[in-house]
Amino acid sequence: MSSFSVREHVPSILVATLSSTFGVALLQGTDALATMIAADSTFGSSAAVAVALASVALVFIAIATYVGAVVTANTFSTIIAGRTRTIALLRLIGASARGQRAAVAREGLVVGVIGAAIGALLGTAATAGILGVASLAGVVPWLQYSFLEPVLAVPVVGVVLTTWIASWVGSRRVLTVSPMQAIGASHERSADSVAHRRGRNAAALVLVIIGVLLLGLGILAGLVSPAGVLIGVVGGMLSFTGVVLGAQVIMPRALRLVGRVLGGSASARLAAENAVRYPERSTRTTIGIVIGVTLITMFAVAGGTFQALFDRLLSGEEGAAEASATIDAVVAIFSVLIGFSALIAAVGLVNNLSLSVLQRTRELGLLRALGFTARQLRGMITAEGAQLTAAAVLVGLVLGFFYGWAGAQSLLALVTGSPSFVVPVVPPLLIVLLVMGAAVVTVVASIAPSRRATRVSPVTALAVE
Amino acid sequence: MEITTSDLGLVARVAQLSKSYGSGATEVTALRDVSIGIRKGEFTAIMGPSGSGKSTLMHIMAGLDTPTSGRVWIGNTDISGLGDTELTMIRRRRVGFVFQAFNLVPTLDIEGNILLPFELDGRRPSPQERAWIDELVDSLGLRDRLRHRPHELSGGQQQRVAIARALGSRPELVFADEPTGNLDSRTGREVLSLLASATRSAGQSIAMVTHDPVAASYADRILFLADGAVVEDRGRSSAAEISSFMLEMEQAV
Ligand SMILES: Nc1ncnc2c1ncn2[C@@H]1O[C@H](COP(=O)(O)OP(=O)(O)OP(=O)(O)O)[C@@H](O)[C@H]1O
Ligand SMILES: [Mg+2]
Repeated sequence: MSSFSVREHVPSILVATLSSTFGVALLQGTDALATMIAADSTFGSSAAVAVALASVALVFIAIATYVGAVVTANTFSTIIAGRTRTIALLRLIGASARGQRAAVAREGLVVGVIGAAIGALLGTAATAGILGVASLAGVVPWLQYSFLEPVLAVPVVGVVLTTWIASWVGSRRVLTVSPMQAIGASHERSADSVAHRRGRNAAALVLVIIGVLLLGLGILAGLVSPAGVLIGVVGGMLSFTGVVLGAQVIMPRALRLVGRVLGGSASARLAAENAVRYPERSTRTTIGIVIGVTLITMFAVAGGTFQALFDRLLSGEEGAAEASATIDAVVAIFSVLIGFSALIAAVGLVNNLSLSVLQRTRELGLLRALGFTARQLRGMITAEGAQLTAAAVLVGLVLGFFYGWAGAQSLLALVTGSPSFVVPVVPPLLIVLLVMGAAVVTVVASIAPSRRATRVSPVTALAVE
Repeated sequence: MEITTSDLGLVARVAQLSKSYGSGATEVTALRDVSIGIRKGEFTAIMGPSGSGKSTLMHIMAGLDTPTSGRVWIGNTDISGLGDTELTMIRRRRVGFVFQAFNLVPTLDIEGNILLPFELDGRRPSPQERAWIDELVDSLGLRDRLRHRPHELSGGQQQRVAIARALGSRPELVFADEPTGNLDSRTGREVLSLLASATRSAGQSIAMVTHDPVAASYADRILFLADGAVVEDRGRSSAAEISSFMLEMEQAV
């Protein structure tokens, strides 16, 4: 049965395209950089430099692809939620649940292939364009740049595979659709299986505990040697994996907390309820942004702390300004690279809000019939978007601050000569950018759905399918 | 000077009302040249075969849908020319609804759903209103269900919640589309008595669409629709009289 609708899959194709474009362009870019360095023979072994650059690039690509996969899994599960009735009807007339799920996964494979291919072309075009313009302008030398390194297969194939897997994960709900739902009441229920999550939550907790202990150990070791930061890195990776795994426990709580701030008007209260209606869905909607904001904040806080310390120690000394500029540049580059993952996560949030509004047409019609004004409806949807974004940014900010400080503390405790406490510094620019980013995401995410929602005629709520 | 709706003892009125959907070859006329009024403080039943235009008439009278031609009043307000926000306010403050299906907001519990009209208006129920809501909740058997979500209730229970919501804020006019369609006969009778007493004790006016002659026998007045037009307007009748009239109508086709 072919129910493949391109329109439904545009957001997932976009996410796959973004991941693939990013991966291809970044690898081609680092390869070009390595080519330039090799031509400029003052550096040592150019092969080693190329490998090092590509490795760093691959880390960022992995992050972007992972975020993309989470977004896609979520999009698919939302699409499935919207198709429940159709699937139930097919089940009623004899289709098997496994067959239905396999069909959805095939759609995921197609989406992945289309996105990865478009991304490969776009990424190559972008790199070639930038290098061409830069060479013409004399910023970079005219060299024989290569655009077809075998390593490019990593992001392209990676995107296809992760999109495929994500669609499989996201389609798990198909198995829980019972034929009864074709004839049953129209009220949806949130079928988040709690039992399923027990083991996962336990694993998450263990990871967080071990990770935090290691971070603490790293900080203590840092009082003796800067190498303590290496223990901290392991602790950070473990604990953050734990946080991502256990996000279903954390995010709904954060959403409730932010929801309370929204106020007590009818639209704010309904928005708050909507945002936690499907804890699983809102968790996956927000986790990408949490990851992005955590990493950006971590780099910014570590960088800012680093810089404040050096400014104090080296003030007046030669080279202080240069060192400071280098730190700035490194933090900026890392932020832009992570920012790409945050962009993918934002696409996911925008898409998810639209889909969930689309699926709530009847409910919105009912609210209109009972006396919700178009304006209240718009307010409700915007509040929902704001709540999702704000919760994600806040959690990311807290985590990133902690990781950034822990890193700086373990690495820099001895810088002043004797072991001491490193005061964390939060760059104001970071806060400004995050708040602006959150506002933009909220507005963009709410425009289309609220326009659509206010066009819903109250009568649609009453139509008996 | 024009005669106002209230001068006629009506709470709602339509004049030369027509409604068609689509255009050209696929055009469907749901209502043709209907002129009727709903009398104040009366319990009016609207009957007629499936597709005769009952729901459409109700939606237009309630300001949910717009007529193709003709005029509509709620109270003395001509709503045919009103903008979206003004219409919304009228629905919010002056009209209550019980729909044929999908009545409740799934994210709110039962109490939240019943209090939604107050909440939309940004106010809390007064002590008198509170007492009236308590009475409704008890007589509809919803007392121990207040903390449940709609999907945890049966279809009939959901319908009763919708009735409590529609009557709770004492709007001057309540529209109910087959409110007893999902109920067993005993609960159905209770709901109907409740609707009837709401008109008597609280002076509310109720317009109810129904296919059931027994349900219609609770009404003070019965309107029959066929093919988009009012074909009969009669006072209180017994279930047997209503059934035999419905049979006649069917045989006339
Ligand atoms: N949105 C619509 N688009 C096209 N035709 C419609 C629409 N809504 C209603 N109709 C048509 O208008 C006519 C009257 O419909 P209406 O829903 O008012 O009937 P009804 O008397 O309430 O029927 P029932 O007893 O089955 O609920 C029907 O022929 C129906 O097909
Ligand atoms: Mg109807």
